[in-house]
Amino acid sequence: MSQSLRPYLTAVRYSLQAALNLTNFSSQEVERHNRPEVEVPNTSAELLLQPMHVSRNEHEQVLIEPSVNSVRVSIKVKQADEIEQILVHKFTRFLEQRAESFYVLRRVPIEGFSISFLITNKHTETMKTEKLVDFIIEFMEEVDKEISEMKLFLNARARFVAEAYLGEFVY
Amino acid sequence: MEDWRRIDIDAFDPDSGRLNVEDLKPPYEATISLAELEPKISQLRSAATSGDFATALQLLTSDPPYSADETAKARYFEAVLSVLTQVRQAEIASLIKQLSSTQIDVLIKYLYKGMSVPDGQKQGGILLSWFEKLTQNSGVAPVVRYLSDRNTV
Repeated sequence: MSQSLRPYLTAVRYSLQAALNLTNFSSQEVERHNRPEVEVPNTSAELLLQPMHVSRNEHEQVLIEPSVNSVRVSIKVKQADEIEQILVHKFTRFLEQRAESFYVLRRVPIEGFSISFLITNKHTETMKTEKLVDFIIEFMEEVDKEISEMKLFLNARARFVAEAYLGEFVY
Repeated sequence: MEDWRRIDIDAFDPDSGRLNVEDLKPPYEATISLAELEPKISQLRSAATSGDFATALQLLTSDPPYSADETAKARYFEAVLSVLTQVRQAEIASLIKQLSSTQIDVLIKYLYKGMSVPDGQKQGGILLSWFEKLTQNSGVAPVVRYLSDRNTV
């Protein structure tokens, strides 16, 4: 693990540990509803806690928005060039379309971020909180690796295709 | 006439018990203006340039300008950020050891604030190493206190 990645992940881990302290909380506005307070508009302000930004640089950030019964974690994945932008977009979209198999994944990322997770009290009651934190941290570790691997593969493939195609014109 | 069925009548009822962001701000006796902050900013800058980071850190973590408005806070934060980024990596741990737990709570607010503004994000690495040393020193407790504290820097 690189030198600056470790403090980044520790900061995210501590922030998540603090934020994932959720309780069952029914809606104050709609009877018999129980909804993630961080997601609904017009909610009472006392239910939202201070948002936490953790950023390694301008391109790699995590935003954690805690509330009384839910936490929204948004990750901005490093996108150095246009190829990476496309790859990140495709990759996160692929995951988001299968969001129900990830339980905590949000179908649409919030503005300015690549991918968002929504963890509610249901999740912390049925799963181990520590493991949830580990999952997010592991995801952050893996996604960079995955993207750079895909980029290398794509470049190799493009080179091969170009050679095969342009080879036709060499006499 | 707009759609009266959609009017949120509870919002007009003073007894509805709903709180908005303004209600949650702790009551401050007096607001600090930018002019009153100026001497503290220059003190911070001079301590930082003379390399006396222990004093600068004590200064910035005690009596933060909670009641100032956003522009004054942003101005003050520039000075704070310049102090935090000038400290050498190796000194951070020993500097944090000198702080009390209330001062650490203030420091973590500055760290989170730093990572949320573009200027601080450029210095993300150094802020993260501050954060790491801070959590090594006092664990997750300051983060929890940050979450529920309505006093912002």
